[in-house]
Amino acid sequence: MPIVEVIFSIEVLVAGIRMTTPLLLASLGGLLASQCGVFNIGLEGLMLVGSFSAIVFDYLFNSWVLGVLGGILFSSLLALVFAFFVVDLRADEIVAGVAINVLGLGATTYLLRTLFGVKGAFSSPRIQGIPVLNIPGIDRLPVIGALLSGDSVLVYFSWLLVVALAIFLYRTPLGLYIRAAGQNKEALAAAGISVRRVRYISLVLNGALCGLGGAYLSIGYLSQFVENMTAGRGFIAIAAVVFGEGDPFRVFIASLLFGLVDSLSIRFQSLNIPSYFALMLPYIITTIVLAMTTYRKMKGKRRVQSADSY
Amino acid sequence: MTGKLVVAIIAKLYRLYGVFTSILAILGALLIGVFIILANGDSPLVAYLAMYTGSFGDLYHLASTLANATPLIFTGLSVAVAFKAGVFNIGSEGQLYMGGIAAAVLGIYITGLPSAVHIPLALLGGFLLGGLFGVFPAILKVKTGADEVVTTIMANYVAILFTSYLVNYPLKPASAPMGMTRDIMASAKLPLLYSLSRLNLGFVLALITIVLIWVFFKYSVRGYECRMMGQNINFARYAGLRVNNNIILAMLISGGLAGLAGAVQVLGVQYRFVQDFSPGYGFDGITVSLMAGNNPFGILPAAILFGAMRAGGLAMELATKIPSELSSVLQALIILFVTARGSIASYFENKLASNEQKKQGAIPNLELKGGQ
Repeated sequence: MPIVEVIFSIEVLVAGIRMTTPLLLASLGGLLASQCGVFNIGLEGLMLVGSFSAIVFDYLFNSWVLGVLGGILFSSLLALVFAFFVVDLRADEIVAGVAINVLGLGATTYLLRTLFGVKGAFSSPRIQGIPVLNIPGIDRLPVIGALLSGDSVLVYFSWLLVVALAIFLYRTPLGLYIRAAGQNKEALAAAGISVRRVRYISLVLNGALCGLGGAYLSIGYLSQFVENMTAGRGFIAIAAVVFGEGDPFRVFIASLLFGLVDSLSIRFQSLNIPSYFALMLPYIITTIVLAMTTYRKMKGKRRVQSADSY
Repeated sequence: MTGKLVVAIIAKLYRLYGVFTSILAILGALLIGVFIILANGDSPLVAYLAMYTGSFGDLYHLASTLANATPLIFTGLSVAVAFKAGVFNIGSEGQLYMGGIAAAVLGIYITGLPSAVHIPLALLGGFLLGGLFGVFPAILKVKTGADEVVTTIMANYVAILFTSYLVNYPLKPASAPMGMTRDIMASAKLPLLYSLSRLNLGFVLALITIVLIWVFFKYSVRGYECRMMGQNINFARYAGLRVNNNIILAMLISGGLAGLAGAVQVLGVQYRFVQDFSPGYGFDGITVSLMAGNNPFGILPAAILFGAMRAGGLAMELATKIPSELSSVLQALIILFVTARGSIASYFENKLASNEQKKQGAIPNLELKGGQ
């Protein structure tokens, strides 16, 4: 099969859309953190805790809704711990983020073994997957039907969230406060708004979104929990946040691109083509985009500032 | 009165001795660990005792602990060197892989050398390729202003994927399973220090490196400049230091040290390059460096502690029903507690200051604030 046909096949696109969802949800969360002035590299750990708690709740209550809520709850709690250390105890956000990742992986693996007594992976017929949404009318259309219908509810919900988050960040007072907490916290404080509270809110929302992304992985995309199942997606989400530069739509485009790369690489693997270089693309593209943006900003700053103030 | 004295002593100790804060962090984590172990229906005493004997109990376990600590000393130094110069290198993990693959290639394909030449050559290759991988983000930072935190995270994955490609395709021997190279030449193997364990000459090299890095910062002009940059980059610029050059130099050394971590694992422990071999040595380096307050000599006990937790975690798993991952949980708690040390110190100071104020109506004790 010619390679072009592989790349543009419907299966790859459909799988890519599914792969996009956990990345998108986590990176929308990361976007909120970066907007409020905290660079959170703990997305991976938050997602993993979300995946695990979703499985636990789904298994206990035999309900995907409670599974999703459980995932959101526990990664929000972990994000609250992160917020406490970073905002109140003024811990270094990068180091605290590393701790969240270590804790997420350690705690989920530990609990997988103590709660379920298994090593590696856990699944059970009791686990109810997130339902698939067939959009009447659209599902019968060729190509578009496969792309835009018949996926998990969370896939479509994540698209709505992009729009919702754009409105939230750019059209509501709280969104303004969040951006102000990141860009000019002195001004926000002078306006009588607590920077601390705004940061707490955005970081907990960050946790909730990562938890949702994690829950999609364990009870939406699959019906099981696997040790370290996020497998670096939290870091790809960071790449999407950096790529997105504060714009939820750009974050969406980046996540979609990285999701497609992900699904393409799986396809390559099945055809025995090395996929390592394809998998590098998100990281390389992000590095280039970041370097280009900061270069533009740096040149702009040099022009504005006089030589001695630089 | 005694309460006030205790607070005063704690506040003093916090400011004066980073070690004290690290010990408190460890104790705090172990205390939380007690509750986790109890929740699992096991005895904390038995679990911790097993952890201790499994890491320091006899010569064999001590050697295993030191073997585990060896890569952490290198990655800890790697992070510390960059950090002292004001650069945050989160890319040690990737640089470690690049150093490992360079050492493996030199160890496999160069033949007919005596060990005295072959080993240094392979180590140098590991240092240089790791260093090169650190220099890329440094150049991007200097030339374009791209934040090294982001670019080094991205570089990690590029390095892991690139080395995985190499060992699955061009470097894969026909007979071996996927994901590893063939064995390195005997002449490139680092000799074992204690034949039953994995402890090898790499540990001694790590000790020497600690001293070298200390000398670099203490006595060399460049080292002094790097330290000044770490304290105040703007002042360093005003003072006319070669800031950009030094950032690149610091990242070359930092990446090189991480590269050595990988090279030593390949030449001294595995004798081949195995895909995804690092269980996060690079990220652990951040913790080690943090606990040591970026002090080269502090790196040694910090690395040994984490090496011990890794070795002891497995022993604990055998003696009790506690999974060895408890070590990771404890480690994460230690990191969190250590990062918060500055504010815990100021909490005690503020408390002290407000006590004084209440009593005397005087200005707070300024002497204690001197450390800020």
